[in-house]
Amino acid sequence: KIFHLGACRVSMSMTEIRAGFSAIKANIQSRDPLRSLSILSHPHSLHKVKVGDRCCITHHLFTFYVDKVFKHCRTEDSFVNRKISSIANSFLSARRKLGQCREQNNCVCGEESTEKFKQILANYEGLNVTSAAMKSLGELDILLDWMEKAR
Amino acid sequence: GDALLPAPQSISILSINMKHFLTWSPVIVQGATVRYSVEFQGEYERDYANGSWIPISECSRTAATVCNLTEDISASVAYRLRVRAELGATRSPWGTMEGFFNRATTSLTPPLLRVLADGQHLLVELADMGPALQFRLLYWRKGHEGRVQQKVMREVSSVVHLDTMEAGAEYCVTAQTHVEAIDRSSSFSPTQCVRAQGDPSVWL
Amino acid sequence: SGELYCSLPNPRNVRFESVNMKNVLHWSAPEGTGDGVLYKVKYAVYGVGKWIRKPECRNINRTWCDLSSETSDYEEQYYASVKAFLNGTCSDWMETTRFNPLTDTKIDPPMVSVSSTDKSISIILTAPEKWKRSPEEESVSLLQVYPGLQYNVSVLNKKTKKRWFFSISNNTLVVPWLEPGTVYCVSAQIHVTTPLLDSGFSKEHCIATLKDK
Repeated sequence: KIFHLGACRVSMSMTEIRAGFSAIKANIQSRDPLRSLSILSHPHSLHKVKVGDRCCITHHLFTFYVDKVFKHCRTEDSFVNRKISSIANSFLSARRKLGQCREQNNCVCGEESTEKFKQILANYEGLNVTSAAMKSLGELDILLDWMEKAR
Repeated sequence: GDALLPAPQSISILSINMKHFLTWSPVIVQGATVRYSVEFQGEYERDYANGSWIPISECSRTAATVCNLTEDISASVAYRLRVRAELGATRSPWGTMEGFFNRATTSLTPPLLRVLADGQHLLVELADMGPALQFRLLYWRKGHEGRVQQKVMREVSSVVHLDTMEAGAEYCVTAQTHVEAIDRSSSFSPTQCVRAQGDPSVWL
Repeated sequence: SGELYCSLPNPRNVRFESVNMKNVLHWSAPEGTGDGVLYKVKYAVYGVGKWIRKPECRNINRTWCDLSSETSDYEEQYYASVKAFLNGTCSDWMETTRFNPLTDTKIDPPMVSVSSTDKSISIILTAPEKWKRSPEEESVSLLQVYPGLQYNVSVLNKKTKKRWFFSISNNTLVVPWLEPGTVYCVSAQIHVTTPLLDSGFSKEHCIATLKDK
């Protein structure tokens, strides 16, 4: 699928990431009891990101998941761990494409989006690392839904 | 106790049409059934998760010398695979496959294609080759090789309508498999031609 | 919250059932309780702190509550919860899993209309509309919600029993060069690749091509 992320046009296959997440969504979200807190969608919604900033903030978010989230999501369930690995490795190859596109097009985050990403990191830091990582993983569909609106 | 059992040898991957199988030579112990366990490590585990390995439950303590990795090798990055032998409480050292495996190197075969004419309708039947594969069909009217048309098909049901044909004319079709996730295609299948019903002179 | 001591068994299987984003909360009565059980319902937007009571579903004896209006923004995700009351005692609040209207709804088959000439049939498909509060409200087709939406169309020649499949992105299909005076039956399905959502096939719409002039 071709994603139009601001100046970037990136071909990525989200189908496998979606399938992997759907397979573990109920399990992962059941480990997150904090209904009133969101990492990605409150207080700022991703859906308010300016079109021009999409490339930059998507790359930031993929880096956030690769660097901070997946490694803290190990569970006692082998099936869940395998799906997390599949998603994490898919994120790695997708981020590589995003990174190339970002350099070629010099995608820079505007002030508003930088603020939004800072808020996401603040939401994350506000919890202990395992809870924050598990909550972030449980919100993967928020990221995918937003990205796919940009197709 | 582990040292008595040798690590499995000749560990290799057989990957065709995005289905990936790990195989190895059996470890022979007279009068005993040796079992095996398989683990994989993606680029993420290597670079971000302290080189951790992930067990594949379907291939834990299996007596087979083959393991289906398709569900786990689901990203286009470099993977490492390892397998060890187990006999009771005794375990062999890990036998690690030489080098890496990236699914982008899977070998792709052309689809099994059947071309049909029904009146003036050009139809095709394609054998299902799994969710990761799509089909790219090229078709043209014989003698009009300059005007080739293309259609991409994702899922395949039984008989798929390709196009309508001029009465009495002959049309040819060829197809290749395409994998969007790795952006690669197979070679084309042998061309098949069929003739539309009807009298061509009616249209001259 | 001043609630009674809650010893009543809990409502069971509390979940959203959603079709075309008409999002209805359903549950089963607590085990072993006969008639007379009443319920109240609340919902929350994921990531926002407070529960919101649903007045129209306060002290109801039915086991469903339509929360379509409250959950119509499909850029948000939601939880809902139900509590049972009987003879002065009550149950715990029982919550749904997190509900994502975009990925957790089911899609109806498309509407199919067929017309024919002597040698062709013309098929027009209409994707279902997203649930709306009132007939006066502006309609939103699911085509706008799921831009990658496609149609799979099946055409059956009733005489030869041969069935052909078409996969199309636009909503019209003309099948020419057919046999005059023959009945063709058409049925169609909606296919969304990501998120992966498929409707069932519509019921068959049969039409005869006109007899040869």
